[in-house]
This record gives sequence, structure tokens and C-alpha cells, in this order.
Amino acid sequence: MQKVIGAILILTATSGAGYVYCRELKTYLERMLYLRYVFSLIKGEIAYTHAPLPDVFREVAGRIKKPYRTWLLAVSDALETREESGFARVWNRCADRYLKPLGMKPEHSILFKEPGTFLGSLERTTLDHTLQMYLNRLDLEIEKIREGIAAKTRIGRCLGVMSGIFLIVILI
Amino acid sequence: MERSDRREKTGKYEQILGILAKSIRKVIREETDSLDGLQEIRLRTGQPVRIIRDNREKILPSEAEPHIITKEELRETMDYISHFSLYAYENELRQGFLTVEGGHRVGVAGKVIMEKDRIKNIQYISSVNIRISHEVIGCADRLLPYITKNMQVCHTLIISPPCCGKTTLIRDLIRQISDGNQYVKGCSVGVVDERSELGGCYLGIAQNHLGSRTDILDCCPKAEGMIMLIRSMAPQVIAVDEIGTSEDIHAIEYAMQCGCKLIASVHGLDMDEAKKKPVLGEMIRRRMFERYVVLGNGTHPGEIRGIYDERGSVLCRK
Repeated sequence: MQKVIGAILILTATSGAGYVYCRELKTYLERMLYLRYVFSLIKGEIAYTHAPLPDVFREVAGRIKKPYRTWLLAVSDALETREESGFARVWNRCADRYLKPLGMKPEHSILFKEPGTFLGSLERTTLDHTLQMYLNRLDLEIEKIREGIAAKTRIGRCLGVMSGIFLIVILI
Repeated sequence: MERSDRREKTGKYEQILGILAKSIRKVIREETDSLDGLQEIRLRTGQPVRIIRDNREKILPSEAEPHIITKEELRETMDYISHFSLYAYENELRQGFLTVEGGHRVGVAGKVIMEKDRIKNIQYISSVNIRISHEVIGCADRLLPYITKNMQVCHTLIISPPCCGKTTLIRDLIRQISDGNQYVKGCSVGVVDERSELGGCYLGIAQNHLGSRTDILDCCPKAEGMIMLIRSMAPQVIAVDEIGTSEDIHAIEYAMQCGCKLIASVHGLDMDEAKKKPVLGEMIRRRMFERYVVLGNGTHPGEIRGIYDERGSVLCRK
């Protein structure tokens, strides 16, 4: 009887781990999608209002959820206080500090720091084109993640169950 | 009251320092702790920091050991001036200047980029001239009795060479007309502030005192703005600074025919010079303005050289 209960517990735990792994993959995709949404809001706000970046970030921050809101407000405040020279420096510092809890992969962290190199330093038309290209790149990244996610989810679930069975066989 | 005045002055001082590169801030801070008498801060790449205070130029920190401005310092200053967003000030930069919080005007010079025979932008900015906006409450006190009739404002044109305080004078006129006093009944004033100099608007809210009955259209072209104001806000008085184009002058004519009183300013040395301007000259000949105020470069901003009526007769002369 004890062996049966133990086997069920092991199977539940490993299957649960597989499920959590799949959930994390999905959450990661959702985060990427939300960041893409934030950047599209920034692009729209710049194109429509032509307002300076601190105002744009403050306006967009009012329409998005935490921690993205905190991040944009922090960038806006840092730009307003004019204590740090160079937009890229402010942008990178705030991204490191406020987007860290999102647990982005290094290649995606670099991708999100990239706007620091062009936001604000380009003229209106070029900025609009560059932001559009940046959004296209984000779309590609998201597509890549989406493609991988189906296979990874299947593998994650199977591995969860299979590793449970494997453990049960070994332990019995 | 005194304490709040001091706080306001300190705020404006910090506002000005805030748009300068950190190293230049330090130099200015060592020189002065207030904006009193400070008129201009001139920054040129490879040249010392110069300020103009009480009409006298000074090199900072000293003529013997000047602080030479580097390209990086100027770039940092431009970053701060434009809130790290040069795209947002493209239209202003095309005209060679932009206005920062508090209504201070920043003139720039550098390499001009042309497109189809028109100025597209200014690149490689090598000179920056910060002109400090000074709100002089009460500087229009002397003028108001001459430009009002039966407690109402007359159509008034202020003629002045640059740097003689016409913006400061108009700003105080707007405030007094809007709030009302013994010469004029308080009335709604519409201000078209194309360069954010009159109101010094920040996020659409005037930072200077323009009175309690004033509606302001910030960063709006004058000609369109005047018509918009007439249709939307029904002002009794419309005030605009530095009219120049024929569109501006046609819009003024339209506003006058709509029953609004007009207060405008134009660059010029005297009445004769104003009369020579193509469209404006025609308006003067048709006696559309009821008062002309000619300013001169005196000891204080908005010093009046002469006030004339619609026929050109002298009402007051310095």
C-alpha cells in the first residue's frame, strides 16, 4: 500500500514539475508579448503627440501594469532630473533594475536595451521607421518562442510523466 | 509672500541650471546663486562660458582661467534642453531656437541641413545661447492708461527691436487686462503662444502669471491659433507676440473684424520702419490699430520711447 501511495506521489510531483515548466514557457511568451505591446504604445505615442520621451513614458506608464509601469516611470523621472548624461545609460540602468524580476534570457535583455541606442537621438521620420523595424524584430523573436513552445510543452509534459515512471521503477 | 517669491526664484534658477551640462552648472553655481540681472548664458564649442549680466559680458570662472566648453558638454546640454528627445523639437530647431520650461529661449547654431531648398534641421550644434526670461510684474503699469479707453483695451501694436523687452511687456499687459484694474475691466484674454515664451507652458499649463481669465494655446501657429481661439473660447482680447508673416497679419485683420481687441508685437525700430512692412504697413495706413507703442533699449525691460494713436499723433514720448 505504501509503495502505491509513494508511486502516486512521485508521479504527481514529476508531472507537476513538467506542468510548471510548461506554464513558465507560456508566461515567458506572455511577457514578451506584453513588452511588445509596451513598445507599440511608445511608438504610437511618439508618432501622435511628438512629445519628449519623459512625457511619452509617463503617458504610456498610465496605461500599463506593474512592473512595466514602475520601469517607465523610473526612466521618465531619471530623464526629468537630468542628473545622468546619455539616454542609453539611463535606459540600461532602469531596464537592469526594474525588468530583472521578469527573468528574461540574456539575448532578450539585450534586445530590450537596444532602444536606448536610438530613442531620442533620431529625427522623427527615422525614429518612426527604426521603431517599426524594432517591433518587427520583436515579432520575429516572439514567433521563434511561439514555435518552440509547442514542442517544448509536449516534451516537458512527457518528460514529467516519464521521469516519474522511471523513478518509480528504480525505487521499486 | 517673500518666502514664496524666493522659492519661485530658486526654482527658476534651478530650472536654468538643470538644462546645462553638469560641469557648466558647477561653473555657474560658483559665479552666482540667483538669476538676478542674468540675461544670457552663451556656450560655444572650444570657447569659454560667457554670461551677460546687467548688460555686461563676463567670462567664467575668470578671464585668466576660463572654462573651455567641449563638444561633449554641448551635446550633454542639448540632451538636457531637449529632454533627450531632439525629434520633439524638430520644428523649433528648424527656426533656430527652442523654448524650455519657464519660457527661457534657447538659440542654437550649427550645421544646417537643407532639403528641397528649405531648412530641415540643424546638426552638429556648436553654439547655444540661453536667454533668460524675466517676468517683470508691473512693467506695463505706465503703458496701460494710454492703451485703454472707457475701461476697454484698444487695438495695440508694440514695435520694438530685439532684446528690448516686448515679450515681458506683453506678458504683463495680458496679466493686467485679464485680472482687471482701475484702467481696464477684467476680461477673457486669448493668448497664442507659438514659442511658449509668453506663458512658458509646461504640459500645457502656463508657468508665468498671465491672469485669471487667460486661455492659452501653446506651441500653436499664430494665424491658425487666433482663428481657433475666436471660434472656441470667445476671447475679448487676443494677444500674440512677434507677428511677421502675411498669414499672421490676415488673421489679425480677421480677429479685429470679429469684435476682438488685438495686442500684438512686431520687430522694428520705429513707426516708419513698421509702415514699410508689406502687409502690416497697409494695416497701419488703414488705421486699423488704435495705439502704437515703440520700445527702445533702455535701462529696464519694456522701456517706452513713444506711444502714438491711430493717426500717428504722439500721446507720450520719453
